[in-house]
Amino acid sequence: MKLAAYYLERLKGNKTAIIGLAFIIFLVLTALIGPFFTVSPTQVNFSEKNLPPIGFSSEQSEYSAKVGGLVMTNMHGTWKHPLGTDGMGRDLLSQLISGARVSLLVGLLATGLAIVIGAIIGVSSAYFGGIADSILMRFTDIMITFPFLLLLILIVYMFGSSLALIILSIGLTGWTGTARLVRSETLSLRTRDFVIASKALGASDLRIIFYHLLPNTISSIIVLATLSIPGAILAEAALSFIGLGDPQVASWGNILNAGQNDLQAAWWIAVEPGIMLFFTVISFNFLGEGLRDAFDPKGDYN
Amino acid sequence: MTSEIILSIENLKTYFFTKKGIVRAVDNISFDIRKGEILCIVGESGSGKTVTALSILRLVESPGKIIEGKIILDEDNLLELSPHKMQDVRGNKIAMVFQDPHSALNPIFTIGDQVSEAISAHKSCNKEDASSQATQLLELVGIPLAKERYHDYPHQFSGGMKQRVVIAMALACHPRVLIADEPATALDLTVQAQILDLFLELRARFEMSIIYITHDLGVVSEIADSIVVMYAGRIMEKGGSRDVLGNPVHPYTKGLMGCLPSEKGIIIPIPGTIPGLINPPAGCIFHPRCVNALDICRMERPPMTKITDEHYVSCFLGGVNG
Repeated sequence: MKLAAYYLERLKGNKTAIIGLAFIIFLVLTALIGPFFTVSPTQVNFSEKNLPPIGFSSEQSEYSAKVGGLVMTNMHGTWKHPLGTDGMGRDLLSQLISGARVSLLVGLLATGLAIVIGAIIGVSSAYFGGIADSILMRFTDIMITFPFLLLLILIVYMFGSSLALIILSIGLTGWTGTARLVRSETLSLRTRDFVIASKALGASDLRIIFYHLLPNTISSIIVLATLSIPGAILAEAALSFIGLGDPQVASWGNILNAGQNDLQAAWWIAVEPGIMLFFTVISFNFLGEGLRDAFDPKGDYN
Repeated sequence: MTSEIILSIENLKTYFFTKKGIVRAVDNISFDIRKGEILCIVGESGSGKTVTALSILRLVESPGKIIEGKIILDEDNLLELSPHKMQDVRGNKIAMVFQDPHSALNPIFTIGDQVSEAISAHKSCNKEDASSQATQLLELVGIPLAKERYHDYPHQFSGGMKQRVVIAMALACHPRVLIADEPATALDLTVQAQILDLFLELRARFEMSIIYITHDLGVVSEIADSIVVMYAGRIMEKGGSRDVLGNPVHPYTKGLMGCLPSEKGIIIPIPGTIPGLINPPAGCIFHPRCVNALDICRMERPPMTKITDEHYVSCFLGGVNG
């Protein structure tokens, strides 16, 4: 793929995009191989609860059998739990890695689903036009009028909160932007000569859609997908934060939710997943904007 | 010219139903094309040449519609075929080359890819077969170093080379009729000449019939076997190339000839412009610009009058040199 190499070359000139890409690659690798090197995120150990991260110390009240009551002790971070532990002594590093898996899974799958649905609806709406266009676009308009998060909460409330269902519902509600983008691009593409020429040589509708129309919108789709991954990740975190996430998995939102009660005693429990969310979201945004500039034919080469 | 008739267009009417009214873009035209013949459709911009071509392929888009007529290819009326069968005719039996080679190729695929895609649109063959056939086609239309250039993108080609690629795509399934809609207009004069040579060569090699649409009488005189002169959606004059160019009967044809520089370098333009097609003038559509117009020209539409067996004109002054 000479074209891919060309765009990569253009992307390289954009520092923030490269930083974003580097962080995403780091996150993906950590999520993939991290669990083999860390303890189980669900392993409870009450003797090591609320340990601060390395380099920090905190005052903790602890029940002492000698005194027969609570005493204040000064706890220090240990290398065994470099990012500290939560109120049940569970290792936060391994929880965060598990959370990275969940976030990336949600981000990629939900966005993928949304993009596929949106692209199909958008391209068929524009290509077939007429009544099909009106029906599909009014349906899209109706979808847009629903408040996204409320719709998610409703679905999760009605059908339960497994991770698969959360991914499915984020995907099924998040395709409207893609549909509109792909439709508008297809509207201008379908009158281009190469599409008409291909029709004149007997290409079928499917062939035109998959060979001419969609590939020509792919750069916009990639940019939009990259920019909507953070939305999906944040939606899952928001659901988990308000307690509607999948209780079976340690997602960043779940950890945040658990940590908010202990904010005074153990600030790191809530802060760490927050930082991870922040960097993940901003990395995808940097990368997305870098890609948009790289794909922009008017953009400078340097 | 006695070879068999391959494609026959009878009383074709294609109208566009716009909000302002009905545009009679193609209004009751008939002509035949024979095997191995190059037929030129000549006319100014807006005379319905391209709509005629798109009608033959049934690619007229809404609000345009083919109202009536017959387009007969191999005893089938194309206008009665199912959409699926029509799709099979396109590319397989009739193919088309468009005016602007710069936009007729998909910018994101290599040219080899696009030619083999055109092949596999109709023939079920594996990728290697398609790609070797594509290379052969590219060689046939005169792309130098076809094998190496197979993997190049359209933007790496010049206009003339792109048009050769477009022609290669049109030839992919060896169509019997090739419609070329001003294929050389967007190109340099020297490249134009090369493309014309290519068409002549293809005709000789495959006995293909070519409908060549142009407004350039110079091109017509070089390649046409027969000529259809169109004006405002109607045929003014049609016949063999020698008859029409050597003995033009219709005032419009004469006017077109007057637009070519004469030996003395004098150009005589036709006065006026092409009329609006929503409310066309009554009678002969050319009468407002015609220097010889009679009263009857303003009242009645002139019928096709036979001058010789191969030469017809739609003018009341038929045969009268006035």
